[in-house]
Amino acid sequence: MKLHKTIVVKSKSADFMNTVSMIPKRLTEIRSASAEPVTAPERFQVNAVAKALHPTELFLRIRRIEEHSPDVKSFYFTWENNVPTPYFRAGQYLTVQLKVGSSILTRPYSLASSPSSALHGEYHIMVKRVPDGFASGYILDNWKVGERVTAFAPEGNFVYEPLRDAKTVVGLAGGSGITPFLSFARAIADGTEDFNLTLLYGARTKDEIVFKAELDQIAKTCDKVKVVYVLSEAKSASAGYEKGFIGADLIKKYAPESEPYSVFVCGPGAMYRFLEKELPKLGIADKYIRMEMSAGARKLADEPGYPTDLLGKAFCLTVVNRGETTQIEAKADDSILCSLEKAGIAVPARCRSGECGFCRSKLVSGEVFIPQGVDKRRIADAQFGYIHPCCTYPLGDITLKIN
Amino acid sequence: MSKKYDAIVIGAGNGGLTSATRLALNGMKTLLLEKHNLPGGFATSFVRGRFEFEASLHELCGISPLINDNGNLAKIFKELGVFDRIEWISLPDAYRTMTLGDGDENFDYDMPIGKENFIARAEEYVPGCRAVCEEIFDLIEQINDGVNFISNITDFKPNMVKEILDKYQNFLNLAGYSVNQVFDAMKVPKKVRDMFAGYWCYLGVNLDELNCIHYFTMFHSYICEGATIPKKRSHGISCALLDRFEELGGEAWMNTKVAQILVKDKKAYGVKLESGEEIYADYIVCNASPYNAFNKLIDRKEVPEFQLKNNNAKKLAAKGFAVFLGLNKTQEELGMKNHTYFIYDTADTKLQTDMCHSRETNGVQATVNLNAGDPDCSPAGTTILYMTSLFLGDDAWNDVTPANYVKLKREFAEKMIDNFERGTGIKIRDSIEEIEIAAPVTYAHYTDAPNGTIYGYDAVGTNSIVHRLMTMAMGDKIKHLYFAGGYTQQCIGFSPSYTTGNMAAEQILIDAAKEAANA
Repeated sequence: MKLHKTIVVKSKSADFMNTVSMIPKRLTEIRSASAEPVTAPERFQVNAVAKALHPTELFLRIRRIEEHSPDVKSFYFTWENNVPTPYFRAGQYLTVQLKVGSSILTRPYSLASSPSSALHGEYHIMVKRVPDGFASGYILDNWKVGERVTAFAPEGNFVYEPLRDAKTVVGLAGGSGITPFLSFARAIADGTEDFNLTLLYGARTKDEIVFKAELDQIAKTCDKVKVVYVLSEAKSASAGYEKGFIGADLIKKYAPESEPYSVFVCGPGAMYRFLEKELPKLGIADKYIRMEMSAGARKLADEPGYPTDLLGKAFCLTVVNRGETTQIEAKADDSILCSLEKAGIAVPARCRSGECGFCRSKLVSGEVFIPQGVDKRRIADAQFGYIHPCCTYPLGDITLKIN
Repeated sequence: MSKKYDAIVIGAGNGGLTSATRLALNGMKTLLLEKHNLPGGFATSFVRGRFEFEASLHELCGISPLINDNGNLAKIFKELGVFDRIEWISLPDAYRTMTLGDGDENFDYDMPIGKENFIARAEEYVPGCRAVCEEIFDLIEQINDGVNFISNITDFKPNMVKEILDKYQNFLNLAGYSVNQVFDAMKVPKKVRDMFAGYWCYLGVNLDELNCIHYFTMFHSYICEGATIPKKRSHGISCALLDRFEELGGEAWMNTKVAQILVKDKKAYGVKLESGEEIYADYIVCNASPYNAFNKLIDRKEVPEFQLKNNNAKKLAAKGFAVFLGLNKTQEELGMKNHTYFIYDTADTKLQTDMCHSRETNGVQATVNLNAGDPDCSPAGTTILYMTSLFLGDDAWNDVTPANYVKLKREFAEKMIDNFERGTGIKIRDSIEEIEIAAPVTYAHYTDAPNGTIYGYDAVGTNSIVHRLMTMAMGDKIKHLYFAGGYTQQCIGFSPSYTTGNMAAEQILIDAAKEAANA
């Protein structure tokens, strides 16, 4: 047997007694403790802030509607009980829930307001009619002042982060993609955010520009914000306007010459496809380019690798939800999330572009298609058969466990 | 319609997952309830841009690649049938540990894994320290053997007392002392202590107050048995356990929050969900903290006085803070070669834990370069680095509001980045492609952790791991209610949480067999 040197702290017997007394000491401490409630978790400031920032759901009231055109409206919300709406970061989105007929669906909309306005209980979003769009059409035609809207607290990663981004951001906005930049501009103007924003705001015509007066006013009074309007259908450039599409040359013209800059992009799919070729010409590191995710409808037929002979077909989707099983129809061209929503099955969903992971569900059986570039799953989720239904399409009958 | 199960497990954290899997493996009809949309609790991961960040695990002990047949945790995972569903990576080094605020006394030691390597390196830093290092390792091994001997006793026989007295005398006599009390007795020089002390921040207790058995067994498991990480993050372990549980016939409901544990006449019989639905079971495992269970989930008049007092006799331990960085350079380009960096303000661990009470004075960080263990964990040309700090006491974030939250956490993150650059000489600031910052508010949000606590109850004084284990069977309890996870008898950590979950399930199986025999 190996001989160990005996370690003595006080004396051999005192050390042994020290061990022997451990249980009585512990029991004495327990018995002398209070039997009254300790601090309830929600009474800690940390827990209170967590709850204020991330309530389970929000009930908002439409306070005002501003019609920019028949197909574009701004909605100004306030929380029902005059409690501040959850604070957020400029650039984040609000998810609203809609009940249309028997469908229950959600849609994310970038907040256009400054975070500071949330402290007065206000949110501002803008909705533009999407051709054949289910939700946008419903909102534009049905939402009235005074209407109660269920929503989920703001989130999203399209935010300015000084530890990561350059001091100057060249913002590229296309059409209704102006909303997060409106939030950035307003937040810079009121001191919530601190960076230089040079905004290149693309629209087809002058008439399509929204909030021009406010943007011009901010640019006039705040030297950190510059706005350039870029009109694709203008006959020629004029004072304060550029002509054409937003590309590398235009970005270089307005970007700082001798210091790093970030490029933030939010706009329609066509703009992203155009910029895919333009942005590499800037020669800046990838970390300086941030694209807001595109939640727009995808054209499955154009996705590489998709078996187009399935288009138009419908499959059986077996849904397992807390031990209960139901069967619904799933069209090949609808995302699985979309099929669930059409069947009136409420699923946690936020970003609708594969990123946030709220709709993460287990594919129990069947084959699915995930378009390139939208698979943002964790590696273990891919291994163990989890999918994000918002950007996944059925290739046949499938069984999905949603809860 | 009411549902009835043999067992319900509340929370799919590490403890809940092993509990549920063990119960299902033994034929119990088991329902696992999780409020979040994925399993794991703190053991999870998240994606930002082209990076998948590990949310909490630094390194796992108990898999033990350096010892025959692996370690205690590996044994559990093998029994549960998940060991081979997880790809394990052994870590190449232990830690680089340093201080920043001790002026001329600052140190910077780069310590390897493996007893002999460790001693040889110590001898390089402090010539002549080999003898005392060997003495420390001898003690650590003896204590570790003693713990294993005692925890493997299933049928106690009187002659075992003699064996314990003969073979594990140091273990027996030192069980109530702190690490520094033992180091003082052994006259361990300061520099040698500093080399051995690296891991203390994993337990959040300074070495004047940290039970020596606790620290030495943990130290043994990392240095002598080897540390590992799961290739697919801790979320890979969580998924493997859940997958196995479901394969065994277990039912798991995500997005399902428990509002109440149903207790009548001091006996648990089911749960009430937030939806109002009641579900019944013979046995309940609670992977939510006893803190929340006794404060929120159980009708107070059903909680035995002993349990309330036991709960109140403990303080909440460290609150978490973490900065996750996706860097657009390789670790070689950055000049980073270690997996773990411990950066302290001072070598005086008592002073350090005092400093951990406020954002202004706290500068502790335990930082992981994930690519050191797994070069392929991020896309080519990039590195994942994450830094964790700890706050002690209850007040460090009392000034946080919804409006200043992002600013406050960014300020502290910036200090951690600066400290890392200053301490290691490695420049990372300009390479940050993705950043996420988790503050106590974040942990409170995702897990309902009181005050953002990530380390359970503080393992100090008479609430040390040894005290907890010695008294775990004592006092009135709610019948058929069992706790699992980092707040329980084995204190905080990944490995203890898995282990206590498994133990809770084993206890249920024993109790169920006894009750069946008596019926």
